[in-house]
Amino acid sequence: MTASRQSRWSSLVLAGLLGASAAAADSLGDSFADPRYRIQGFAAQTLISSTNNNFFGESRDAVSTDFTEIGLQGFWLPLDALQLSGQILYRQAGESDQEGLRLDYAQADWRFYQNDSTQLGVRLGKVKIPYGLYNETRDVPFTRPSILLPQAIYLDHSRSVLIAAPGAIFHASTVNAYGGLDATLGWARPDFDSEAVEGVFLGAIRPGKLNGTSAFSTSLRWDTPTDTTFMLTYIDAKADYEPASADNLAAGSIRVRNVLASIQQRYDTVTLTAEYNEPRNSRAGFGAAFPDGVRNSLTYYLQTEWRFHPEWELVVRNEVNYRDQDDRSGTQLQAATGLPAHLLYTDDWVIGLRWDVTPSLMLRAEYHHVNGTSWLPGQDNPDIFATEQRWNMGLLQAAYRF
Amino acid sequence: MTLVRRAFYLVFGLALLAGSALVMADIIVNPGVNVRSLSAASLRNIYTLRQTSWPGGQAIVVFVLPDDHPAHEAFTKEKLGLYPYRLRQIWDRLSYSGMARAPIEVKDEKELRARVRATPGAIGYLNQNAGKDTRHDGIKTITLE
Repeated sequence: MTASRQSRWSSLVLAGLLGASAAAADSLGDSFADPRYRIQGFAAQTLISSTNNNFFGESRDAVSTDFTEIGLQGFWLPLDALQLSGQILYRQAGESDQEGLRLDYAQADWRFYQNDSTQLGVRLGKVKIPYGLYNETRDVPFTRPSILLPQAIYLDHSRSVLIAAPGAIFHASTVNAYGGLDATLGWARPDFDSEAVEGVFLGAIRPGKLNGTSAFSTSLRWDTPTDTTFMLTYIDAKADYEPASADNLAAGSIRVRNVLASIQQRYDTVTLTAEYNEPRNSRAGFGAAFPDGVRNSLTYYLQTEWRFHPEWELVVRNEVNYRDQDDRSGTQLQAATGLPAHLLYTDDWVIGLRWDVTPSLMLRAEYHHVNGTSWLPGQDNPDIFATEQRWNMGLLQAAYRF
Repeated sequence: MTLVRRAFYLVFGLALLAGSALVMADIIVNPGVNVRSLSAASLRNIYTLRQTSWPGGQAIVVFVLPDDHPAHEAFTKEKLGLYPYRLRQIWDRLSYSGMARAPIEVKDEKELRARVRATPGAIGYLNQNAGKDTRHDGIKTITLE
C-alpha cells in the first residue's frame, strides 16, 4: 500500500470517526434515542514480555506496549429489510501492523425474506468474511477467549487476507426444534497487498505486487438445542503477482484452499472448543527462481474455558501447527536451505485468566509456553537466524467497552 | 437432633424462598405487540437474536438491564437457562459483526418500563416486586407457555 493511498484512507476514516463520536455523544444524552441506531465501541491496551523472540514489538527481555486496539461500531436499520453496519478500527501490533486507523468493514445487509424464524439476505460492501468461530469479531477483545487468538488458525501476521473484503455474501438463518442453522455463500476480492502477506506466501518481501483476485467462501453453522455448535468453513482464495521492472520473479499466481472444522460444547460455566484445518497453498508460474509447489499445512487447537465465578474465567489451550505436513520437524527445510527447522512448526501451551471487573472493564493475564516459530511475526524478528526454537511470553491486557 | 432438624428446615426454607424470588420475572411487551403468550423456546430465540420479528412481521426491539443487575441475572438463568456472560458473548458476536442489532441496555427497571411503553415492537422483563403499582400501566405482561 502506498503512503498517499494510506493517508487518504486515514483522513477519510478519521472524519467518519469524529462524526460518529459526535453522533454517539448525542444518542447517549437522549435516553429515548431511536432504537434503529446503535453505536458501540471498545479500547484495549496490551503489555507483552517474552524470552528469546519478539512478538508485537520489542518484547524480548523487555516490555512492549505496542499492541493497541480501539474500535467504534455503528448499526443503522433504515428499513426493516435493510441493515447498515460498519466499524472503524485503530490497531497497532508491533512491526506487523503499523497501519493505525482503518475502515474495518462497511456493509449493507438486504434481508429480502424474513419471518419469525427464518431470514434470507445478502450483505454487500466491504464485508466481514465468515471463517471459524472468532474471525468476524476478532478485533473485539471481549469476544476472544484469550488475549491472542490461536495464531496459526487466525493468522495475525497475515490477517488482512481473512478480515473483510469488497464483495457479496448471501446468508440464510433459520431456527426450529433442531436448533439454529446459519449458512453463507460469498465472493470477495481479498487483500494480499502487504509485506506480511508477501512474506508468508512468497517466502520474502518481493519488489512486485501481490493482487488478490478472488476469494470464494462458504460456511455452515449448526447450534443444537444441547448447546453444541458445529461449523464448517471453506475458503478458496487466489492472487496474481505483478512483477516490478527489475524482478527475478515472473507473473505467477498463488492459491489457498482451506476447510476449517469447528466444534464447541457449552455447559453452564464450562466451554470446550476445538478447531482443525489443513490449508493447502499452491503457487505456479513464478519461474525458476521460485519453483512451482504445493504445501499442505495442518493446525488444530483444543481449548477449555471455565467461568468459575461470575466475574472470573480461566482458559487453557494447546495449539499445534505444522506448516508442511511432509516436513513436520523442519529438518528437510534446514538441510536444503540452512534455515532454522523450527520455522515449520509450533506447539503452544496457553493459560489465561480473565476478570470482568465491571460489565465494561475487563482485565486479563496470559502466559504462553512455546516450542517453534512458525507463526512468529517476521517483521518483529528481522534476523531469522537469531530466532530461537523455545520461547515464553506473558501478556497483560486492560479493555474498556461502551 | 432437634437442633439439626431445625437448622435443616431453616436452610431448606431459605433455599425455597431464594428459588421463588428468582422465578418472579415478568415478561413485558409494548401494548401494540399482537401476542398474549410466548413459548420458552421463542423467548430464548428472541433474546439470542435469532428471532427478529413478531408473527405478522413487526420488528422486535429487545430491551435489557445491565449484566450485573439482579433482575437480569434472575431472568437469564430462570427464563432462558443461560448465564449473563453467555448471553453477552452471543450479543457481541452478532452485533459487532453487523449481523444483528444488539439489545438496548437501560439502567434500571423504571427506565425499562418507560422504554417498552414508548417503543413499538419492544420486549423486556421486570422483577415482579419492582413495580406493583404501575405494572399494567401502558405495558402488556405476557405469559410463558
